[in-house]
Amino acid sequence: MEGSSDGVIVARVLRGDVEVFRVLVNRYRDRYARYAFHMLGNREDAEEALQDAFTRAYRSLARCEDPERFGAWLFRILVNRCRTLGARRGRRARTFVVDEVAMLEAAEDHPAERNAWREEIDRGLQKLRADQREAFLLKYVEDLGYDEMSQLTGVGVSALKMRVMRACDRLRELLSEVHSA
Amino acid sequence: MRNDDDGMMKEIARQLRAPLSPPVSGSFDARVMSEVRRMPRHSRFRLWSRLTTPRTVTVIPLSWGLVAASIALFAVIGAIRAFDDIQVATKPMVTALFPSTSAPKPPQRVQFVLVAPDAKKVSVVGDFNGWDVDHAGYQAQHRGGGVWSVTAPVPVGHHRYSFVVDDSVWVADPTAPRVVDNDYGVTNSAIVVQEQK
Repeated sequence: MEGSSDGVIVARVLRGDVEVFRVLVNRYRDRYARYAFHMLGNREDAEEALQDAFTRAYRSLARCEDPERFGAWLFRILVNRCRTLGARRGRRARTFVVDEVAMLEAAEDHPAERNAWREEIDRGLQKLRADQREAFLLKYVEDLGYDEMSQLTGVGVSALKMRVMRACDRLRELLSEVHSA
Repeated sequence: MRNDDDGMMKEIARQLRAPLSPPVSGSFDARVMSEVRRMPRHSRFRLWSRLTTPRTVTVIPLSWGLVAASIALFAVIGAIRAFDDIQVATKPMVTALFPSTSAPKPPQRVQFVLVAPDAKKVSVVGDFNGWDVDHAGYQAQHRGGGVWSVTAPVPVGHHRYSFVVDDSVWVADPTAPRVVDNDYGVTNSAIVVQEQK
């Protein structure tokens, strides 16, 4: 089942084979965990959003219009879960948790400088407005085109371009000093 | 300098594309699967599979009592339903003799129009026709110049709907307010149908 297409796996799950859903979890978990982490800023919320997205996708699997593109459909659910959770989190006290393990592993020649740079990026990202952070991550990290982003978020292309531009300006402002050091 | 594709943004993106290590906690898959197993199993073809798969059946004496109680319960429900049927059968006569002031509102004729020059088929789907793309009464006709339209009955009230082009592409009505289904990211159109005076 590991090498089967999304459509084949979705069909099996819809026939009642629950356990095969694990293949889809394995297939999309890592990449989407990264998006949720960058969007929400900490692992706990990221895992909650991702788990929620998988279980909602399972519950509504029969509504997936194009099972071969299950991944894109799941991502759309995740983007919405991150928005909801981010809004809820915004009402709580803001906390920032650095991904220490990732920082240590990213260290190569100059651990101190590399860690500081990565830490500043994470910190800068969390200082962006949520809609700007979302647009920036979809454009630069997930590498989506503006049309795809528009379909995914329901936001117009020109508004998305504006959000990305503002996110870049803000990041440049926040990170220029550290970057040039 | 305002250039979104400058080296600094690329460097930031490169850093952010690095995989998380570990991506999720070790128990993540187990937690998802445990939650999924608790949900109702999807059941396409399940009835056929149950009917054709050999199974061992154990009969407990007490269960015969339960079976008898169930039969009695069904008999009572059947009697109640029969009484309801008699009431339903006599209702038109009662309605004719004593017309009600709050009769059900009849569906209204609503015209749906979409400009889709390249389409080969345009359907209207909504909560009023079970989102059925093949519903006979909701198939738009090509009126020339890429204009498709259909006039179809829609019950009085609030509804969500969408056009489906060539059985595959969902298109929100450009002339109607939009409603985003936040869970699934689908954008539908909204309509309020009122009774004609």
